[in-house]
Amino acid sequence: MRPESAIIVEPVARLIEELSKLPGIGPKTASRLTFFLLRAEEGQVQALAQALLAMKEQVHFCSRCFNITVAALCPICQDTNRDQSKICVVEEPLDVLAIERTAAYRGLYHVLHGHIAPLEGIYREHLKIDELLARVRSEPVDEVVLAMNPNTEGEATAFLLLRDLVPLGVRVTRPARGLPTGGDLEWADPETLGSAIHGRREL
Amino acid sequence: MHISQFSLRDFRNYQRIDLQLAPGITLFYGPNASGKTSLLEALFYLATTRSPRSRSDHDLVRWDALGEAGVLPFARVAAEVQRRMSHVRLEVLVQRRADEEGQLTNGAQKLVRVDKRPARALDLVGQLRVVLFTPVDLALVDGPPAERRRYIDITLSQLDPRYVRTLAQYQRIAQQRNSMLRAWRERRRPLRGIDDELAYWDQELSQAGGFLLAERLRAVAELNQIVGPLFCAISGETNPLQISYQASLELDDARTAHDLSQRLSEELRRLRQDEVARGQTLIGPHRDDMSFSVAGIDLGRYGSRGQQRSVTLALKLGEAELMQQRSGETPVLLLDDMLSELDTQRRTHLIAAIRRPAQQTLLTATDLGDFGAAFLAEITRMRVEGGQVYPG
Ligand SMILES: [Zn+2]
Repeated sequence: MRPESAIIVEPVARLIEELSKLPGIGPKTASRLTFFLLRAEEGQVQALAQALLAMKEQVHFCSRCFNITVAALCPICQDTNRDQSKICVVEEPLDVLAIERTAAYRGLYHVLHGHIAPLEGIYREHLKIDELLARVRSEPVDEVVLAMNPNTEGEATAFLLLRDLVPLGVRVTRPARGLPTGGDLEWADPETLGSAIHGRREL
Repeated sequence: MHISQFSLRDFRNYQRIDLQLAPGITLFYGPNASGKTSLLEALFYLATTRSPRSRSDHDLVRWDALGEAGVLPFARVAAEVQRRMSHVRLEVLVQRRADEEGQLTNGAQKLVRVDKRPARALDLVGQLRVVLFTPVDLALVDGPPAERRRYIDITLSQLDPRYVRTLAQYQRIAQQRNSMLRAWRERRRPLRGIDDELAYWDQELSQAGGFLLAERLRAVAELNQIVGPLFCAISGETNPLQISYQASLELDDARTAHDLSQRLSEELRRLRQDEVARGQTLIGPHRDDMSFSVAGIDLGRYGSRGQQRSVTLALKLGEAELMQQRSGETPVLLLDDMLSELDTQRRTHLIAAIRRPAQQTLLTATDLGDFGAAFLAEITRMRVEGGQVYPG
């Protein structure tokens, strides 16, 4: 099957194989990384191995907003000074960081972990949508901000959420236009994103 | 408009050519498989960012094109286009992709420049307008509906940047919608909430579809004014040709984009069960067709071979005339090995049409014997052989 495994000793072949499962890394890069680590100081390799394990053992999704956290609740959900009446819905944890950087928003978040994308087989049941609706029913929320990416998939997700949220009697808003269409929140500059969040409009 | 300068690098069988072109008629002649067709293909590609004959762009890159150090092999097509009031330089680079090991894949990326500035492929369409006429087009009348949709889409895309964008958007939405319908059909997803989940996609599909439909109906109405009498002149028949747009849904009297969107959205809701059962979007511009008739007789079904050729010729010349009427500029005609396919009467008509002043026509032929001495005396000739083009 793999001719190189006959020549390369098993532990090396195994690391190459594991690394090539990572996104964007093919066999060539995997080999390069493996041989780099082979020659690296013992301490550096241990630090990397421990960082990987610690990340997996300690980090999980916040039980309330599904952001990444090391505690049961993420720091934002724990912070009682934040405005508990607003939830900003985003696609990915990185979007939370992007919005936090703008300092334009002081409410809570909810991370969907994706967007509706039929071509990739991603539908509402694959996203944290029911969890969001449960929060809106049980928490003192009066505004939900739909901060999906301004592209077709993001729009489709926002459209679906709007239909679900309106009957629950909350105000539903979207960041103002001005974000580059087709782009990702994650890459918008903080100033543009900040003013889009400030100028959000009701749907 | 006309192309004044045209260059290729590593495109199909051409390593490198650089041609100055004159407004009138230029005839490229040479043996079969010498690459005459590739010249017209390159210009069609520059006008539409699509090849008329191959689905994958990597085929366009010459097989032994060498990348420079660190650069993957690419083909380059560039032209200088003279318009009435301005001129523009167009350039497309088709670069092959490689996998991580450096092996070439079947992928390719397109890099477009307009007046030396990077542009999107969509922005290139319409800068150079062409009408391509090849023996394959003779299937336009009796071939599959997709051929006729392609005819109207290519015409309108070159005339209206909004049409290009909306068409791309529509196709994307239809694909997404089909994936959803297929998932329900195959019972991969629960059947409740179908209306809610389709609401967004129905709305987007209807909106884009309504615009495309309105534009196509308007174009067909304008084309009928043009091709009706044109067909009589070409065929010698007394009754004019009539094009009818065959929509996949009942249009009632809807003609505006708004009303047509409304119609589409009503019909989509009505067809919900059928669409889920079949797992696909059953109506819309991607399912429409056109038919051609003379005195009420459908020529796709009952027309003679000669009549069908006259229709195709009228449609192609009509396409050029429509572009001229709408934009005030004559498109460049690209005729690939067409004259040998036509009888004397149709050939005479075609030659008269391309001889009009201010009309640039590039045509290919294998045999100079197809042309009279008078015709040959007034055109520019170029001999194509072994991946080279020689004047005379
Ligand atoms: Zn949280």
